[in-house]
Amino acid sequence: MIEVRELTKRYGGTAAVDGLSFQVRPGTVTGFLGPNGAGKSTTMRILLGLAAATSGEALVNGGRYAELRRPMLEVGALLDASAVHGGRRAFDHLGWLARSNGIGRRRVAEVLERVGLAGAARRRVGGFSLGMRQRLGIAAALLGDPGVLLFDEPVNGLDPDGVRWIRELMRGLAAEGRTVLVSSHLMSEMELTADRLVIVGRGRLIADTSVRELAERFGRGVLVRSPRPAELTGVLSAAGGSVEDDAGGALTVAGLDVADIGERAAAHGIPLYEVRPRSASLEEAYMELTAGSAEFEAAIS
Amino acid sequence: MTDAIAAEWYKLRTACSTAWILAVVAAFVVLSALSSWYLAHYWDGLSPRRREEFDAPSADQPLSVALPVCAVVLGALTVTSEYATGMIGTSVAVLPRRRLYAAKALVAAGVMLTAAAAGTAVAVLAGRAIVGGRPVPVLGAPLADGVPHLLLTGPVAAAFTLIAFGLGAVLRSTAATITTMVAQMVVLPTLTGLLPSPYGERIWSALPEGLAEQIAAPPGVSAGPGVLSAPVAAAVLLVYVAVALGAGRLSFLRRDA
Repeated sequence: MIEVRELTKRYGGTAAVDGLSFQVRPGTVTGFLGPNGAGKSTTMRILLGLAAATSGEALVNGGRYAELRRPMLEVGALLDASAVHGGRRAFDHLGWLARSNGIGRRRVAEVLERVGLAGAARRRVGGFSLGMRQRLGIAAALLGDPGVLLFDEPVNGLDPDGVRWIRELMRGLAAEGRTVLVSSHLMSEMELTADRLVIVGRGRLIADTSVRELAERFGRGVLVRSPRPAELTGVLSAAGGSVEDDAGGALTVAGLDVADIGERAAAHGIPLYEVRPRSASLEEAYMELTAGSAEFEAAIS
Repeated sequence: MTDAIAAEWYKLRTACSTAWILAVVAAFVVLSALSSWYLAHYWDGLSPRRREEFDAPSADQPLSVALPVCAVVLGALTVTSEYATGMIGTSVAVLPRRRLYAAKALVAAGVMLTAAAAGTAVAVLAGRAIVGGRPVPVLGAPLADGVPHLLLTGPVAAAFTLIAFGLGAVLRSTAATITTMVAQMVVLPTLTGLLPSPYGERIWSALPEGLAEQIAAPPGVSAGPGVLSAPVAAAVLLVYVAVALGAGRLSFLRRDA
């Protein structure tokens, strides 16, 4: 369980995070979405006690992170996979981490196995590819078998296999009842991974919703195909729907749902070839929500 | 605290830089032995009259020149290398800052103290073994004469490690920390020679490098212009350590990682 309440972080005159509040519940993957510079990383760094909040609070399991005695047993985090000492061997990188929280060496071997790095345990981290570093960072997050996990942009730089592996891993962790918060600036990725979405822009909350709700909220009416469009238009208009003619003979109906349309058409004996709700892709919804909140926008688009 | 110390020790012993620093210390121990061997042979070739005037340095003299530099690099890297890689974020997230800071200081100082004391002891004993029965001054002098130097070399090196460590925690940059420390150890003492007496000597005496010599100069090293007694010099060096550690701690605890 993660709770962020009225969190604000200022750097000089700029607010990186501005009165942000949201909750992340156990058993779900929550996507933390926003354009670059929206304050995602800053929020995560405050959650982990790396940066101090200007005001407000960020709680993990009801308390402040700094008060945890052995933090790795409660919270695992992957912030920056490249933030490792290149001269150290993979096993030793996890080794000192384990030692810092009283975790045994056997667990180190276990997590290396789980992330598929068992064969590279004796290799120096400096020679690792970005994908291997991401895996090592995830191994570090899993080391203490924590109930809360934070991943900052975990799929950045990964190949399709790696992306799918991370997606399945996160779904698996949530299914085990853990709280999983994953930041990303890619809606398309979160659409496949997350149950809930916390969308931020310029440090402020834009939406706190489920993936389904978001899709529904950006619904664009119902698409209907029929061999007798003119007749159907009349029927549906009479029933209170507003009907638009699409190019290609399809109709877009607003104000009536799929069931209404089906019943009215059946009552008048009008055959239907297709009836389905139209929704904007989540990518479009996200772009619409975050429009104007990107920190650096191209002057001409 | 045990966890923090064990983790920092694990980190330090698996860092390549530590191995390099210890290798440099070892190399200077070997160099010191070579220097003793050379002096012994030089002695053999001297006429009795020149032997009376002969003034040999302590057996560990080459090592004692290298130790402060090794101490400073170790102390600085202990903290600045983590800022350079960004690993400081992970360290601060897994350990409370107070404990992390204390553990880092303790481990770095402990390693340097041990390396300096062991290296010096080996260099001095090797020197005596090499010189054998020859009555070379200093090298062949009773071991008891060199005891204060032997005992204090470790703590003085540890003090340099801690000063660099504290400064590193403030500056968060390897280059800035090591440059500042080396400038203060090598350049400033030389510059004091340009100042009129007695100010030049006084300032020289109060700089860490001067303090080290006033606390535990190797026997036989020609005395510098120091004006402080050993205990006073030790107290001043401790003030340097306390100020550097205090400033570093404040920065480490207060500023965002």
